[in-house]
Amino acid sequence: MRHSQKRTLASAALALVSAALWLSAPAGAQRGRPGGGVDVYAITNARIVTVSGPVIERGTVVVRDGLISAVGAGLAAPPDARPIDGTGLTVYPGLIDASTSLATPRPSPTPGAPGGGGGGLAALLFGQSAPSAVSPNSTQLPGLQPEILASDIIRPGGPEIEAARNAGITTAQTAPRGNVFLGQSAVINLAGDTPQAMIVRSPVALYVGLNPIGQGQYPGSLMGVFSSVRQMLLDARRFREANEIYERNPRGLRRPEQDKSLQALLPVLARQVPVVMQADRAREIERALDLAQEFNFQLVINGGMEADRVAARLKAANVPVLLSLNFPRRTAAPSPEADAEPLRVLRERVEAPKTAGRLAAAGVRFAFQSGGMTTMTDFLANAARAVEAGLSRDEAVRAMTLRSAEILGVAPQLGSIEVGKIANLTVTRGDLFDRTRRVTHLFIDGRQIELRPAAAAAAPGQGASGTWSLSVSLGGSGNERQELSATLTLQQQGDRLTGSLQGQLGSGNVASGTVTGSDVNFTVPITLPAPASQTTDAIFTGTITGGEMRGTVQVVGRGPGTFTATRAGGAPPAPPATQGAQPSTPPGTRPQQQPPGGRPGEGEPRPRLTPTPTPTPEQGTTPPLDGQDLRTSN
Amino acid sequence: MKRLLTLAIFFVAACAAAAPAQTRGGGGAAAPPDTLIRNATVLTASRGTLEATDIIIRGGKIASVGKNLRAPDGARTIDATGKFVIPGIIDAHSHAMMDGSVNECTRSVTSMVTTRDVLNPTAVNIYRHLAGGTTAGLLLHGSCNAIGGMSTTVKFKWGHPASDFPVPGAPPGIKFALGENPKRTNFNIPGLAPRYPATRMGVEEVIRYAFTSARDYKRDWDEYRAAAARGVKNLIPPRRDLELEPLVEILEGKRFVHSHCYRADEILMLINLADEFGFKVKTFQHVLEGYKVAAEIARHGAGASTFTDFWGYKMEAYDAIAHNAAVLVRHGVVTSVNSDSDERARRLNIEAAKTMRYGGLTEEEALRLVTLNPAIQLGIDKRTGSIDVGKDADLAIWNAHPFSVYARVEQTFVDGELLFDRAADIARRPALEAERKALEAAEANRAPAQGGTPPRPPAAARRAYTHDDDVQDKEEDHQR
Repeated sequence: MRHSQKRTLASAALALVSAALWLSAPAGAQRGRPGGGVDVYAITNARIVTVSGPVIERGTVVVRDGLISAVGAGLAAPPDARPIDGTGLTVYPGLIDASTSLATPRPSPTPGAPGGGGGGLAALLFGQSAPSAVSPNSTQLPGLQPEILASDIIRPGGPEIEAARNAGITTAQTAPRGNVFLGQSAVINLAGDTPQAMIVRSPVALYVGLNPIGQGQYPGSLMGVFSSVRQMLLDARRFREANEIYERNPRGLRRPEQDKSLQALLPVLARQVPVVMQADRAREIERALDLAQEFNFQLVINGGMEADRVAARLKAANVPVLLSLNFPRRTAAPSPEADAEPLRVLRERVEAPKTAGRLAAAGVRFAFQSGGMTTMTDFLANAARAVEAGLSRDEAVRAMTLRSAEILGVAPQLGSIEVGKIANLTVTRGDLFDRTRRVTHLFIDGRQIELRPAAAAAAPGQGASGTWSLSVSLGGSGNERQELSATLTLQQQGDRLTGSLQGQLGSGNVASGTVTGSDVNFTVPITLPAPASQTTDAIFTGTITGGEMRGTVQVVGRGPGTFTATRAGGAPPAPPATQGAQPSTPPGTRPQQQPPGGRPGEGEPRPRLTPTPTPTPEQGTTPPLDGQDLRTSN
Repeated sequence: MKRLLTLAIFFVAACAAAAPAQTRGGGGAAAPPDTLIRNATVLTASRGTLEATDIIIRGGKIASVGKNLRAPDGARTIDATGKFVIPGIIDAHSHAMMDGSVNECTRSVTSMVTTRDVLNPTAVNIYRHLAGGTTAGLLLHGSCNAIGGMSTTVKFKWGHPASDFPVPGAPPGIKFALGENPKRTNFNIPGLAPRYPATRMGVEEVIRYAFTSARDYKRDWDEYRAAAARGVKNLIPPRRDLELEPLVEILEGKRFVHSHCYRADEILMLINLADEFGFKVKTFQHVLEGYKVAAEIARHGAGASTFTDFWGYKMEAYDAIAHNAAVLVRHGVVTSVNSDSDERARRLNIEAAKTMRYGGLTEEEALRLVTLNPAIQLGIDKRTGSIDVGKDADLAIWNAHPFSVYARVEQTFVDGELLFDRAADIARRPALEAERKALEAAEANRAPAQGGTPPRPPAAARRAYTHDDDVQDKEEDHQR
C-alpha cells in the first residue's frame, strides 16, 4: 500500500517535471496545451507576405495542427489560439535553403589519413572528400553510390540546424556529402524529434559532385569524374534494357545481375528525378549542360556563381539554378609582401551579388542556397546585397520561398502562406532585406521554435570562443624540447578570430585568425623563454573537438611543434573569469609571466596524444600549406 | 570582267564568312573584319620566304598572298614593312588550359578519360601562348599510365567559350606513355600501394592486354550486330565500355596514338607491338633517343615530336643530343619540336631556331618543326600550318626575324581574328590599373580590419625548365 502510494507520488512528480520541461521548450514558455497535441497560434495585426498572392498590409495568420488554417485581413483570432501581437512584424513563408548537407553526418576521416605519414601526403595530393555514408553490398565504391538516401542518414538537432533556424530558415534541401555520386537528397523541415518527422519529401534529386575519390581509387581526376559518370549512366541504360528484355521473356535468358547503384539511376534516365550538379564557373555549367544533353536527364545547377553568363542556354534548356549566397569576399590579411590578387578574383567578388538580378532579368528560374557558408547570418545579409545589386525584393523573397519549393517539388505544401499549406513561417521585425531586420518568431510544422541568435555565433562544440588552457610542445629533441603553457582567450565573430595569449610564451594579441568549420588558424606574437628570449610569431593550426583544440604550431625561427588546449568549462563562450580578458596590452609593456599552474587545472598541460613531428631542416618556418590558393570562397 | 570576277569571289567569300560567325559562341560575335597585311617578309613554311608580300585575310581564311594586293572594301590594313609574318605556331605537346589534374593516375589504362571534358577557356596561359605566336596545340593527358586519356586538338581562341576551341574535323587522338613514368619509377607516393606495372616489360604487357581486350570487345559487338541483323530476338547488347572503345578506334585507324617515350628500346617495342596489332603510331613524343632508331621510326611511318635541348632530368633522359630533331628530319621522319610546358610554349620559335645551329637544318626546315610538321602530325595540315591560300588565317606578325632572340610578336591572328595585339595590350594597361584601383576599394575586396587568413605569399620563382607531363595539379589555372 505504502509502496503503491509512493509510486503514485513519484509518477506524479515525474509528470510535473516533464510537464515543466515540455513547457519550457517552446519560446516564451507561455500557456501550453496540456497534452501538447494541438497547437493553435494566431499572429494578428501583422504585415503578411503571402508570396502566392498580394501582400496583406494588416492581417492575421492562424496556425492550427501544423498547418496554416486561415489567413487574411480583418480575421479575428480564434479563442483557442495563442495570440501573438504582430504589430510591426512581417510574416513570410518559412525560408528555404535550397541546397545544404544539413543533418547529414560528416564523413569520418579516411583510414590512415591522420598521422599515418603517407596517408596525410596522399590526402594532400589527392584531396580528401569522403562520402557521408557507405551503401552495403553495393557494386560501386564509396563515393560512386547513387543509392545513398539523405533520408536514411539524417539526424535531428545539432548546432548547424539551430544556426540555420536562427537565420530564419525553416526548410532545406539536404544531400549526402561525397565525391561523384553523392546520393539522393531530401527536403526536410529543420525541426522534429526524429528523422522521419523532419522529412517533407524524399528522394528529391540525385546529387552529382565533381570531387575525385583519389587515394589510388578511380576516378582520381576531374577528367576521370566525367568519364565515370558517363560510364555509369551508360551501364544504367543497358541495365534497364536488359531487365526489360528479361522480364518480357525470362525463360532461356541468363538473368541480369541485380545492381542497386544502377537501379537508383533509372529514375534519372526516365527524367523523374533531376540531377543536381555543382557548377559555379560558366565552363562548369556548360559541362553540366553538355552532359545533361548527352544523357537527356533533368538538370539543376548548384552554385551558379557565373550562371548569368550562360543564362540564354539555361533558359532555353529550362534548367533552374540553386544560387549560392555564399558570396566570395576577401579574407586574407593585408600585407605589402603578398602577391597582388588577380583582377579576375577582384572582379568576381564585386560581381557575385549581381548574378541573381541578371538571372531574374534573363528569365532563368533560381532559388537561393547557403553554399556551405560558415556564418548563417550571411544568408539574409547576402540576399540583401543581391537586392541592392539589382534584384527586386519580390524576386528575392520568391527565391527563398515559393520558387525554391517549385524547383524542389514541394510547392503544393510549402513556399507560400496559403490555407492548408504546412505552417512554416518566418516572422521578422523590419523588411527581410533591411539591414536592421531581425527574425523574431519562427514556426516549423506549426510549432514555435525557440530562437537563440547568440548561439548562432558560437555554437557549442563548434565555436572557438572561450578561455583555453594551452599547452605547447616545441620541437627539437632531448634538451631542446620545451613544454610551455599559457592561457589563450579567443573570441570568434563569424569566421574571424580575435583574442590574446598570456603565459610562458609571453603575452600578445591574436594578430590574425580564422575559423573554418571546426578548423582554426591564428597567429600570435610570443616571447620565447630563456635562453632564446626572442620575440617572434607563432602560427597555430588546429581543430576543435568540443572543449578541446589540438594541432600544430609553427614558431618563426624555431620550427614546428604541437599544441593542445582545453576550454575552461569545456563548452562555449563563458566570459573569462579573471585575467583572461586583457585584449589590449599596450605595446612594449609586457606583463609579468604567469607562474605555471597558478590556478588549479588551468596551467596544467594535458597529456599530449599526438606525437611531435621531427622537424626537418627544409621545413623552414612557413606553414606547410603556403602556396596553396588562399582565396577561399567564404 | 576582272572586276566582276573579283566581286563574285568577294560575294562567295562573304557568304563563307557568315557561316562560321553563326557557330561562334561568345555572345554572337560578328565575323572578324577582313584584313590586308602589307609589305611583309612572309615565311610561308611551305614554299620559302616571300619578300615585300601582301596577305589578304577574308572570312577567317587566307584569301590571297602576293605583291601589291588591293585591300577589300572595309578591310583593315596593317603596314608590316620591315616585319615578318609566319604561320601560327603549333604545339604538338601541350597541357595548357585544363582544369584539375593532367593525369588520371589511378589505373594503368585510362583511355576512358578525355581532356575535352576539362577545357578551361579562361586559363591565362592561352593568352600568353598567343603572345608567343602559338595558335594551336594538342592537349594531351599526362604520362602517368601506359595508355592515358584521349587528347584534344585546339586552337587557342582566347575569349571564346570552350566549345569553340577544338578544331573541327581534327582526327581524335590518345596519349600512350612508355618507360619510367608509367612504371612509376620516380613517383611512388608513400601511403599508396604501388601501381602495376613496375617494369618496361609490364608496360608492354599492359598495352598488349588492352588491345587484346579491345579485339574481344569489338568481336562481341560485331557478333551482336550480326545476330541482330539476322533478326534474333531478345538479344541483350554487350556493355558499352568507354575504356575499350577508343582502343577499337585505334585498331580501326580512326584514332591517332601519340606516345610519350625516351629510350630506343621502348620505341622499337611499341613499333613492333603496333605492327602486331596492325595500327600505326602517329607520333613518338619526347623521343630523346629517336636519333638511334630514326630509320625504324621512318619505316613505321610515325612522326616524332621532341625537345631541342632539354635533357638529363631523369635517367631515361640522359642519352639525349641536341641534334635529335635534325637527325630525324634527315631520315625523312615528320618531326616537330614541342613545349610540354606552358612557359616553353611561348617561345617555340627559339626552340626551332636552335636546330639550325645543332644539325644544320635550313631556315624553312626549322620553321616547319613548329608549324607545318606538327599540323601534319595532328592531321590538321589541310587547314593550317603554312601560309597558303585557302588555309585558315592563323598567323603571327613579328617585329624581327622570328629566329632572333630579339624578335617579339606584334599581332597574332587565329581564324582571321586578331586575338593578340601588343599595342592594344599596352594601351589597355592604364584602364586595367584604374579598374583594379576601383575594385580594390569595393567592400568585398577590402582586407578584413583584423584577423583574416595569412596573405598569399609571393609566387615561387619560375623554374627555367618545366615538364608538365607529370603535373598532378596545375595550380596556376586553379587561381582563376
